[in-house]
Amino acid sequence: MIPPNIGQLPPELDLFAAIFGVFATIFIYSFLWKENPLSRAVEHLFVGLAAVFTLGFMYDAALSQAVWGTDRLAQGNLIWLIPILLSLMYFFFFTKKYFFLYRYPVSIVAGIMAGMMICGMIQSNFLVQIQSTVQLPLVGDGVWEGWPMPGLDSIIIIIGVITALSFFFFTWEHKGALGISTKIGRYFLMATFGAAYGGTVMARMSLFIGRLRFLYQEGYEDWFLAWYLIPVAILCVVAIMLWQRSRPTPEPSVPSKTPSKKRESKG
Amino acid sequence: MSISKVADFDRRYIYIVLFLLVSIPILSPLNLPIPISSHTEGVWDATLNLDPGSIVVSSFDFGPSTIPENRPQAKAHLFLCRELGMKVIAMAFWAAGGPIGDDVLSEVYGEDFESSAEYGTEVIYLGYVPGNEVGMQTFGDSPLDAKGTDHYGTSLSELPLMLEIENAADIDLWAEWTSGTPGEQQVIQFVQGRHGGPSAVPLVVGSTAVSVPGMMPFYAAGQIIGILNGLAGAGEFEYLVNRDYPDYPYEQGPGLDAQSVAHVLVILFVVIGNIGWAISKYGGGKS
Repeated sequence: MIPPNIGQLPPELDLFAAIFGVFATIFIYSFLWKENPLSRAVEHLFVGLAAVFTLGFMYDAALSQAVWGTDRLAQGNLIWLIPILLSLMYFFFFTKKYFFLYRYPVSIVAGIMAGMMICGMIQSNFLVQIQSTVQLPLVGDGVWEGWPMPGLDSIIIIIGVITALSFFFFTWEHKGALGISTKIGRYFLMATFGAAYGGTVMARMSLFIGRLRFLYQEGYEDWFLAWYLIPVAILCVVAIMLWQRSRPTPEPSVPSKTPSKKRESKG
Repeated sequence: MSISKVADFDRRYIYIVLFLLVSIPILSPLNLPIPISSHTEGVWDATLNLDPGSIVVSSFDFGPSTIPENRPQAKAHLFLCRELGMKVIAMAFWAAGGPIGDDVLSEVYGEDFESSAEYGTEVIYLGYVPGNEVGMQTFGDSPLDAKGTDHYGTSLSELPLMLEIENAADIDLWAEWTSGTPGEQQVIQFVQGRHGGPSAVPLVVGSTAVSVPGMMPFYAAGQIIGILNGLAGAGEFEYLVNRDYPDYPYEQGPGLDAQSVAHVLVILFVVIGNIGWAISKYGGGKS
């Protein structure tokens, strides 16, 4: 079983963690200036760690269901062998001869997910949404916070729903009344995308601010570590970029017009 | 350089300006006012309206990359639940969320809380529950079958709090801290939808700002009754908790100031960019 405190370093390694965190942050953000070996190294490290971490936790959690957590198999509950065997069948992906066996667990999982999603989505994403649109109050309190004209907000939502849906109606050409509707619908869709973009900016800024707060405020025994480490890390990035620039640029490979001998012999 | 050639401006200078401007409020907070949004009030009211002893599920469905947004949301809400005497069942449907949940719970309930007297009756941490949507549905249908043991290796059937819920309808509030899938939509589809709807399984969400526009239809339909919107939502909720419980630190103020400065800068760049585009288009140049 994976120890519950995995990922948490012992206190004596706090200094190491802080130094590593500062360097990793600077290295990964150096990508914004120019891609370099340090930013790539930290990026690969992050992806690799995340993959191993997820794999380990999934393996541990799945086996704790059947084997060491509940002793279900030991108690003779052999039905749990079925999902274990099915999951092992995924490894047939790596053989040419038995590759077809890999398709069975994929099909089963796809079928289960499709069944679940259809039931869940029709209820929560379709019926309830239609219901709430139909029930929009045209009089009384509005639905938008601080909107000065209650009732008009509901009408705008209804117009937005109808015109945006008409944008995806392709049976007739978008001309005349349908053309006007699709044009209005396009503006509603653009407003939605604008809101999504605003949210994206806000989210990315939050992450950037989180990293900056780590750099400026996370210290080691009240010592503002980053103030000393940031210049060192930046110097490392500059040095690696200068080294990269001093290397001769490799010639871009030009694809050969004539087929290679290997291909000819195959053909 | 004329404004019509703004598109040729090296974006790396923008990064430097952004870095410098965002650094100022973090190093020297501006203490800008904090208006509390109705979404945040929804989370606050939903939690405060519960009776002591109500069962709250807290689900850590995010990874390290969104810790700046999701972690303070979850931590402040857990603190409030503890102060109000709620019973908390915490878990993570994301593998990466497993250790994060343990870390947050340790901060709120104390180090080695899994060995404390309140563990098992007042709070439980299941850790990572495998299966994504399937795991969520299994937990909603029969929590004891969702996982064999809790995060610390104790069998779920040995934890008294787990025996108090038969299915999701026995949960008084589901607090979902999410930055993707599985997240709030999967709770709505596979838990709330199967067990009586929003009135039976009230759902509040703390999410990254990028996901919030997509969940507004669910908020408008009442399937979600409160949203903490990214870092801003975390700051607003922290502010409310700090107002009623001064022991809880309000730490997000500098972050919110920095975010406001960054947004003003982005708006400024968007306006300049559009002016440049308009001049180049209508002033005889190429767009």
